[in-house]
Amino acid sequence: MKKLLALVLVLALVAALFVGCSNDTPSESAKPAESGKPAEGGEAKTIKVGLICIGDENDQGYTYNFIRGKDVATKALEEKGVKVEWVVKWNVPEGDACEDANRELAEAGCKIIFNNSYGFEDYMLKVAPDYPEIQFVGCTNQASWGDSLKNTHNAFANIYEGRYLAGVVAVMKLEELIEKGELEKDKAVIGYVGAFPFAEVKSGYTAYFLGARSVCPSVTMKVQFVNNWSDATAESNAASALCDAGCKMISQHADNSTPATVAQSKGAFFTSYNNDMISVAPEACLIGTRIDWSVYFCEAIEAVVNGQEIPQDWSKGLADGAVVLTELNEKIAAAGTKEMLEQVEAGLKDGSIQVFDTNRFTIKGEKLTQAFALDTDGDFQADKEEAVFDGAFHESYFQSAPYFALDIDGIELLN
Amino acid sequence: MDDQIKSPLLRLDKRSKDSLGPVSVWGIRLGSIVFALLLGCIAILLTGNSPIKAYGTMINGALGSAVYRQQTVKKAIPLLGCALAIAPCFKMRFWNIGAEGQITAGALAATFVARLLSSSFPGDKPSLPLLLLMALAALLLGGLWGLIPGFFKAKWNTNETLFTLMMNYIIIGVVAWLQAGPWEARQGRIAQFAPAAQLPKVAGVHCGWIIVLALVILVHVYMKHTKHGYEIAVIGDSMRTAQYAGMNVGRIMMRTMFLSGAISGLVGFIICAGANHTLAKEIAGGVGFTSITVAWLSQLNAFAMIAISLLLGVLSKGADTLQTVMNVPVAISDIITGLLLFCMLGSEFFINYRIILRKKNGKGGAAQ
Repeated sequence: MKKLLALVLVLALVAALFVGCSNDTPSESAKPAESGKPAEGGEAKTIKVGLICIGDENDQGYTYNFIRGKDVATKALEEKGVKVEWVVKWNVPEGDACEDANRELAEAGCKIIFNNSYGFEDYMLKVAPDYPEIQFVGCTNQASWGDSLKNTHNAFANIYEGRYLAGVVAVMKLEELIEKGELEKDKAVIGYVGAFPFAEVKSGYTAYFLGARSVCPSVTMKVQFVNNWSDATAESNAASALCDAGCKMISQHADNSTPATVAQSKGAFFTSYNNDMISVAPEACLIGTRIDWSVYFCEAIEAVVNGQEIPQDWSKGLADGAVVLTELNEKIAAAGTKEMLEQVEAGLKDGSIQVFDTNRFTIKGEKLTQAFALDTDGDFQADKEEAVFDGAFHESYFQSAPYFALDIDGIELLN
Repeated sequence: MDDQIKSPLLRLDKRSKDSLGPVSVWGIRLGSIVFALLLGCIAILLTGNSPIKAYGTMINGALGSAVYRQQTVKKAIPLLGCALAIAPCFKMRFWNIGAEGQITAGALAATFVARLLSSSFPGDKPSLPLLLLMALAALLLGGLWGLIPGFFKAKWNTNETLFTLMMNYIIIGVVAWLQAGPWEARQGRIAQFAPAAQLPKVAGVHCGWIIVLALVILVHVYMKHTKHGYEIAVIGDSMRTAQYAGMNVGRIMMRTMFLSGAISGLVGFIICAGANHTLAKEIAGGVGFTSITVAWLSQLNAFAMIAISLLLGVLSKGADTLQTVMNVPVAISDIITGLLLFCMLGSEFFINYRIILRKKNGKGGAAQ
């Protein structure tokens, strides 16, 4: 009898579907008319924009940060009379599928297409020559200055400024622990979970360390690489090893929040990247820093709508709101952190503080006088454009992607 | 049976061979597709979209323009090639589910040759000698990756399903290591091939499509018109008969597995030299498994595989477009594809068996 009932139910469901199909048809024919309607007054302009993502918003980190930027930019542009129709491709792997995604978005009528992952650029570059009137952007990548294409671009943000500030917050907490007698003065060690030993990561932890040392000159740092952008277990293990090695402060440059939870369980403190992690580790996470992609999205989309050119390489920082700090966890942050942050932030914005000031770090005991920025022959060794001038290493100046790849004194690489 | 008081509501009965005419057989198959599409409506309705518009979008996205058709064909190429590769094994009832690994092995070998010899082939045009060497290396390593489980099966009668499956993980692990280790260019990726090592495009798609179409004919002839093909068929029907007829079953198994692995390896070469222009651990991308479906749906008929792999190409490309155009989550597209494959494979059951409903008033009824 149960089986008969099941059969009847299935049939009923199928019948309901037919009804459902026919019911939906009229409302569908109304939909395109709505979106295709020309804007009132002829003022509003509509633009189709493509976005190709390596993940989706569920990662609560890297791609989620892009989606936040997209939503903010959409609102901001709407106020300026630009209506953005986003076409987003989620969970695209770094391979042939990325070429297809770029081509599909180009065919769908997108005027500008953002690729959100480093590994997408090779495939984006295969499509870009076929659509010279469409702008292609490889976020966080670096081929634009060297390829001969006018319609390819790169974008990043001066995230090292945010990390410098996070370093200040971190070391103030360590100093507080020393004052309270909970930490010996010569044991102020920061642990850093890095993804890969590349410029992007090295530039990040060096900036963080320099921020910390600007407050407490005796602080040192240990870096553990996990050789992966996103491996929750490896990141957790690395954070754990760093805590066991005596680090009272952990930071990270990889995609997961596991280092935050490990720091909390081991009684250490933490500063985050990409996302506010206070909710996952309320007793450890002091502050975080992230890129606000909406600034770039707004500028680039508006330029394309108005028929203006967008820069080959784009990188802005704190001063333009492209790099932001997440909320300070005032419950656990050291007293006076907020005031200190405001002061340092103002210095970074007006240029009186240079993150990579060559007077404030040494390499094998010597001051840095020469370092190149660009790699022209693809051997991953920079060989062009002098980055050291006016008393500082100028990061993200010749290309948007970071190129500071030097090992400075005071930072110990564990692997 | 009529006098049984408690007979089940539904009973299954194996149909005698050829009891269904071709019209009924194809009727059942088409019916299964219609049924799957109806089931897919549930998934689409859940997202708040119209199923009719969704299916229209899928078809338009797969076939609506030259670029879309090229992408659809590009997706079908490895499926067709790999289905051809596993057909001989399945005909022999040797369950090779290691095509994924054999593809990866072939791609690895091709990449090795491309990296080794690219500097000897400068210029920005594809180089035929280099591509041939890459293909040869892919054939050999892919074949070896198939031969190993074939050898163990022949010598010690190991379970080929488990063995071939495990071989996948090994080779994918090797590639993962190369990718993040010795062959790494930046950020865990291997550099793009030099132009000399990239397959040229013909009619907008890399020329892998010509290679696999040629393979269709070769595999068809091999299976239907050669002694080897006959031996494979005999083993598939009855191992004992083959032994009684004096065939060296172990040898035939190893030979067939080498051949199957070699064709898969060639598919790996096509994927890495034609589509990706590099090697990554995800290079096979599930083709080795999806092609099992293609092979079964085609009843191991090489020509039918062309149609089935194109159908899957249309589905997969259409599902991509569905996501972009209607903002449907990727998972919904995957559900629709899964339902279609499930129903199409499931329909074979109704071709081989009939369902007999419990008799109500003395009259027996059969339902399809």
